[in-house]
Amino acid sequence: MRQRSLIAITAALAAGALTLTACGSRDGDGGSDSSGGGTTVVIGVDAPLTGDLSALGLGIKNSVDLAVKTANKEKFVEGVTFKIEALDDQAQPSSGQQNATKLVANKDVLGVVGPLNSNIAESMQKVFDDANLVEVSPANTNPALTQGPDWQTKKERPYKSYFRTATTDAIQGPFAAQYVYNDAKKKKVFVIDDKKTYGAGLAATFSAEFKKLGGQVVGTEHIDPETKDFSAVATKVKSSGADVVYYGGEYPQAGPLSKQIKAAGANIPLVGGDGIYSADFIKLAGATATGDLATSVGAPVEELPSAKEFVANYKAEGYKEAYEAYGGYSYDSAWAIIEAVKKVVDDNNGELPEDARAKVTEAMQGVSFDGVTGKVSFDEFGDATNKQLTVYSVENGAWKPAKSGTYEG
Amino acid sequence: MSGVGPIEPGEGTHAWAPPPAARPPRERAARFRTRHRRAVLATTSATALAAVGAYLYVTRPEAPPPPAPPPPSQTVRVTYLGPLGAEATPTGFRFTVAVTAHSGPQVTVTRISQPYEGLSLTANPHPPFRTRTGIPHKIEITMKVTDCGKVPRNAGLPFLDVTLRNTRAIEAHSFILGERYAQDLSDALQVACSNEFLPSPKPDNTPDKGLGGLRVS
Repeated sequence: MRQRSLIAITAALAAGALTLTACGSRDGDGGSDSSGGGTTVVIGVDAPLTGDLSALGLGIKNSVDLAVKTANKEKFVEGVTFKIEALDDQAQPSSGQQNATKLVANKDVLGVVGPLNSNIAESMQKVFDDANLVEVSPANTNPALTQGPDWQTKKERPYKSYFRTATTDAIQGPFAAQYVYNDAKKKKVFVIDDKKTYGAGLAATFSAEFKKLGGQVVGTEHIDPETKDFSAVATKVKSSGADVVYYGGEYPQAGPLSKQIKAAGANIPLVGGDGIYSADFIKLAGATATGDLATSVGAPVEELPSAKEFVANYKAEGYKEAYEAYGGYSYDSAWAIIEAVKKVVDDNNGELPEDARAKVTEAMQGVSFDGVTGKVSFDEFGDATNKQLTVYSVENGAWKPAKSGTYEG
Repeated sequence: MSGVGPIEPGEGTHAWAPPPAARPPRERAARFRTRHRRAVLATTSATALAAVGAYLYVTRPEAPPPPAPPPPSQTVRVTYLGPLGAEATPTGFRFTVAVTAHSGPQVTVTRISQPYEGLSLTANPHPPFRTRTGIPHKIEITMKVTDCGKVPRNAGLPFLDVTLRNTRAIEAHSFILGERYAQDLSDALQVACSNEFLPSPKPDNTPDKGLGGLRVS
């Protein structure tokens, strides 16, 4: 009997120890997506979830989803459970506006992340502003969205509900021009754009700075983004004698354009902005894309210590699509909304006030935290105070960072 | 049949009893266990506990290693303070910047340069020099025109390239010093390269403006 007791004690000890071990090893696991409490706050997402630009759009959606899951797991706002409502704008302004109206109609939506495209933001800003619903874009770079149409001469904020974590083309275009002229030593550029708000605006800020530096614009062309045959433009580039092409637009067109320019016999690099900074550009442009350049907002996410946890958690969640160019900025945009909601709840004895949307918009102006992309806060126009940019070049079939810069003005 | 019966032991003979057969090992072990059951159990328990203990030790939650410091470009700011002297020099431009490491370990500035052909740059103090975290270091920069045909007379966002090093990385980073710097540089270069150009009206960029609390390295 005594022996049996001894066996039982030993077994119990071993089982207890193993249980303790198992508990200890759970530290740092993903854990469950536990609910934070009784109040539900919805964070809307607007991005192109289908179509040519869906690689970027799905990266935005997934990154917001990750922020929401993290906030719920950490019970970051006591008594509040965050949810996500993602709508597809198909890169069409009319769809974007319909989505804005739909999100405004859902009273649980207290903030929206998106959109990707500046021209779509133009169609959404007023809808959101009329409803005091805060919008934080991780990707819009057109300066007019925050600084007004006359931003070059007189900066005036058009909508107090609009914020962004991305840097503007007022910096991105000149930054690219400086790199192309001084570092890449290119002096004659052929400038092409897709006539859209983003593409035309970026091409304009690039051209202006390139000329100021002493460079020569030897030709300009506009393309139709609905087509993929750019052979006529490629021939013009070849005969212009340009030693570099600047393209204001997005990767679905930039990829074939680069390929066709090289095929026409002009073995010169194509340079673009954040709209071409996608793995899909390289797939579309093919092997001759080596040496092509893109600028994008922020420092390379993979190199930021603050981004390590984001990258690991994104992988752990098993999202099918990459976080792409705007993943870190999308996470930070969503987290800015979560921080603003927390401030409003904390200031109201732990509950959402009646005018929660207005209060969240107001709180957004004072938000400040260490995010995936560095310090996140906003200036008087709603622009990110963290204004970093990086030039990437295509090497061995992938984008590699070439040079980073910080705007300190 | 052979007619030969079984051989009986005769007189004086002795039928030796066969030696006792060796006990089968299982039986021996069982007997050993029976005799030493308590000791066996104690040993087994001790072994199991030791194994569990070893497993716990190996898989124990360890304190995470201290995070690597951020790359220096993420902690350092370079701020344009203003021109040195009321007017630009006939052959160039002198101005001051503040280099500040806001967090992380000590950062060494190993190089300051500018990317434009037609200009040369010297800095005082001369790199390399160290910065102390949280303390702005005032640096005097002199740019001299070497070829007026290759200077950016009207650059919108001119760079200053600074190479930084800390315990994590060495990085060449561009600092875009903003519109006021661009205007002052442009004015200075216009003066240096053409007698026909005069400096445009500019904001109050007195050299000492905003220098409160600055420490000269």
